[in-house]
Amino acid sequence: MKGNSLKALIILCGWLLVGNGLWAQEEPGCLDCHKAGADSPVHGIFKTAHGSLQGGGAAACTTCHGASEAHDRRGKKAPPDISFGPLWPSDVETRNASCQGCHDNGDQLLWAGSAHQQENLGCNDCHSSHQQQDLARDELDSQELCLNCHTQVRAELQLPSHHPIAEGKTACVDCHNPHGGLGDAALHQVTLNDNCFSCHQDKRGPFLWEHPPAAEDCSLCHRPHGSVNDRLLTARGPALCQQCHAAAFHPSVPYGSEGLPGGTANQNVLGKNCLNCHSQTHGSNHPSGARLTR
Amino acid sequence: MNSRIRLSCQLTTAGALLLAAHGALAQVAEQTDEATNSYVPLALENRPVQNRWQSDYSGAVRLGLGYTSDDNYMFGQYNGLSEQGATLIGDLQWQDFHSGDNYWQVSMSDLGLDTREGELTWGRTDRLRLTIGFDSQQQVRNDSGETPFQGNHNQYLPDNWVSGQTTADFATLDSSLRNFDRVLDRDKLFLGVDAKLNDNWRIESNLSYEQKEGHGDTGAGIYINGASADAALLRSPVDYGTTEFDLGLAYDDERLHLNGQLAYSKFDNDDQLLVWQNPYNSYGADVAYPNGTGGLGLAPDNEQTSGRLTGHYIFSPKARLQFDGSYAVASQDQSYEDYTVNQALVVAVPVPGNDLSGEVATSTGNIRLLLNPMPKLSTEVFYKLRDRDYDVDRDGYLYVRGDGGNQPNSPETVYNTAHDLISQTAGAEASYRLPLRGKLGFEYAYEEVERRNAAVEKTEEDRYTVKYRIQPWSNFSARTHLQYADRAADTYEWAQSYYALLDTQLINATPDTQRYITHPELMKYYMANRERWETGADLSYLPTERWNLNLNLLWRDDDYDQSNLGLTESEWYRAHFSVSYVASDTLSGSVYTGYDSYEGDQSSRAFRGGQEKNAFAIYPPLPQASDPQQDWDINATDTSITLGANLQWQFAPDLELNLDYNYVDTQGEQNFTTQPGSSVVASDLPDVNTKLHHVQVSGIWHMQDNLSLQLDYQFYSYKTDDWAWDGVQADTIANVLTFGQTNPNEDIHYVGASAIYRWQ
Repeated sequence: MKGNSLKALIILCGWLLVGNGLWAQEEPGCLDCHKAGADSPVHGIFKTAHGSLQGGGAAACTTCHGASEAHDRRGKKAPPDISFGPLWPSDVETRNASCQGCHDNGDQLLWAGSAHQQENLGCNDCHSSHQQQDLARDELDSQELCLNCHTQVRAELQLPSHHPIAEGKTACVDCHNPHGGLGDAALHQVTLNDNCFSCHQDKRGPFLWEHPPAAEDCSLCHRPHGSVNDRLLTARGPALCQQCHAAAFHPSVPYGSEGLPGGTANQNVLGKNCLNCHSQTHGSNHPSGARLTR
Repeated sequence: MNSRIRLSCQLTTAGALLLAAHGALAQVAEQTDEATNSYVPLALENRPVQNRWQSDYSGAVRLGLGYTSDDNYMFGQYNGLSEQGATLIGDLQWQDFHSGDNYWQVSMSDLGLDTREGELTWGRTDRLRLTIGFDSQQQVRNDSGETPFQGNHNQYLPDNWVSGQTTADFATLDSSLRNFDRVLDRDKLFLGVDAKLNDNWRIESNLSYEQKEGHGDTGAGIYINGASADAALLRSPVDYGTTEFDLGLAYDDERLHLNGQLAYSKFDNDDQLLVWQNPYNSYGADVAYPNGTGGLGLAPDNEQTSGRLTGHYIFSPKARLQFDGSYAVASQDQSYEDYTVNQALVVAVPVPGNDLSGEVATSTGNIRLLLNPMPKLSTEVFYKLRDRDYDVDRDGYLYVRGDGGNQPNSPETVYNTAHDLISQTAGAEASYRLPLRGKLGFEYAYEEVERRNAAVEKTEEDRYTVKYRIQPWSNFSARTHLQYADRAADTYEWAQSYYALLDTQLINATPDTQRYITHPELMKYYMANRERWETGADLSYLPTERWNLNLNLLWRDDDYDQSNLGLTESEWYRAHFSVSYVASDTLSGSVYTGYDSYEGDQSSRAFRGGQEKNAFAIYPPLPQASDPQQDWDINATDTSITLGANLQWQFAPDLELNLDYNYVDTQGEQNFTTQPGSSVVASDLPDVNTKLHHVQVSGIWHMQDNLSLQLDYQFYSYKTDDWAWDGVQADTIANVLTFGQTNPNEDIHYVGASAIYRWQ
């Protein structure tokens, strides 16, 4: 009996030892080296949504960086399986694939083939997942990320007529999806006009009396990032209207400096020029509005 | 073992080791080569350094006071700082991811301003997210104008108003003028939920309500024909409410990803009609002051329901299909107003129907097939569709001309027209990777646009684009593209809009040669023949790891080669240059400058024919309409020069300085040319110049790890000399009563002091 008990004890210990070695899920040793304080930038992630992946702790590290067993064993002598740099940056496809393991729908759905993907941009070129505040997700700060490459737009945002983008009340990402889309300029909405109507629903109509170019394409008259001319117009009135309108009498006449104060003070030149009367340029629903004056 | 055998064993072992080492090295070299062969976007380098104060905290609150030196409407156009005086600075950011699986985030900004916004999010990691928030925006426009009108959507003149045929006759105008603000406030509340149902399904829904209130401005005229309008600029009421709701369902598996969404948007305008009292007395007693009134239709209530399906299917790692299709119906059944608000005018024939009951159905489809048949070759084939189908009854409207007289006779009936559009684009793109991290791409696209009830039934465009990118050295990259597009339009049916708008009786009574509204030689540029050339280049150079230089160039020329009148050519030049320098972890700076020039050439023909026109009268042919001597041209050029600089300097561990400067100089030119010996006269308009200087400085003292003090200073200077308003008093234009507003000329100072408390 005593011998059997001893055998049973030995078998149990052996089973525990072997079983532990075979089946126990040993937690990765990431945090043995990357300690809080000494390596605080790394630990910032535990105060973000990514810090609790797979239950948090070191498991969160391996969710994005891969199992990284060699790095676990050899420390600085071997890189993690997936590294976002700066020391051992993995190639951009590997880095992005790690993010897309979770972020492969919603706004990121059409990343493949997008302009930014074709430019070899990595997710971490804009996003900083280890920092508590990811600047790419802040309305004002995210613009700096966009304008860093799209430098020409920075100048447009400062023009006399502009959307409140430089002021931080409208973000680049309110209109554009930086992760890609199948429409023009990766706009969120299915057409340019729908993008504009998402804030300017009063222009949506449909109207009894349409102004066909307004119904077709807002950008025929407006320049969305900014313009030298009032109301984001592509040109000044009355010349802008006269690009398409040369009806008999007043629409066909040139309006030069003779029409300024001191001259004839012409009603088609000064003030709101054509819009002094034809104010309903986006369309009119008034039964007497055929000339877009009502 | 003899020595020969031992030697051969040693050689074999050494050889094996050598081969193994070679193989290992080759593999490393291949990996290295692959890595170095990857194009890297250099513009990303040398970004301003983020410091830990920006991003290393879980909560921060900022409180302080700001002071704006003067009332303004350019500096404060969008930032809530348009009024002189003190304002509260208040921001809050707080997030907590410590509570096991749950997290929450709150952010609020501009709490002391009319531009405040805030958002509260609660969630369970990767399973559920609830968001509630608000967003306020404010737009302020030129407030230097004055108006004699009182009231909101029913505007009337003071009792002592002295009327006249022109504004000069308004003897009590000066004493009647009152200043007013043009401010639009948007306040939006929103609620969102995003939940993961299981490994494959996710649901998302959003609800929002936005109220937009305030005043804009509009022009409004009382007239019986285009030559006799008596107009006034009016303060226009805005009282909009928009409710939006969407429900999305997403499905993911290894190959198929789908995102479906249903959305509803409803727009309500509390004001349907803007009524104003006629300040003039040009017409009869019923129309003249004080009895005459005009009525202007405001934006009608409308709603839109839409469905959208976006997704992709992965056939293999080298082939995937992407698609994005939608169907939306926008409808509008706002009750019609009467032909005129002036009850004294005779209206014998009522408005046909009670409302429009119009529906615009828009279908879109975008499909892209991505194929990588060879390691260095990537291709795509795409197709885009937009179908705008306007379903509306066509009726005759015997409308009252500008509330200026009785309803006319039946031949002057006009008919509404539905403008439909089908646009389809199909194309293919291929790009091939070349040595030196180069990539050569070629794209061809064919676009066909069919319009119903337009002067041109169909346009077809072929677009060819060649793109080339190279990064010969790790610190230099260049990209260039060349595009040629040729758009061909069907025969320009210049009489189309005449036939579409007017009554058969009138059309039949009009000579063939007079059946047009816009001159037959004018082609509306967006559906005219066009030849486009565009080329551009982007260069990035990092001479050292601290410097980054970027140059961006673009030229585009649109030649409307079949157009005699209208827009005939436009040209766009762009050159932008930026330099950034990161001196150290604590000092970085950047400078950018840009030049843009849009130049348009347009022509027209002055044909008054020595008489003014009753819009619906049948008149004899106007000889001037076919006289090229009556032609005139405008060359209009808008140029802008921008210059900016930014400095971020942490000159001591606890002291930080940020400096930002922007300078904008714009010029709008319009130069006229008429035919030699012609009676048509037009002199060049003066240039419109605008100058902006905007300096923003902030100094931050990080007193403690968790406490900082921030001082802000801004100087904003904006001046322009727009001839449309320059020297234009309320009564300068004989038949337009304006606001008499002045051009902006602002020098604004803003100072702010705030404390920032952060916690972990």
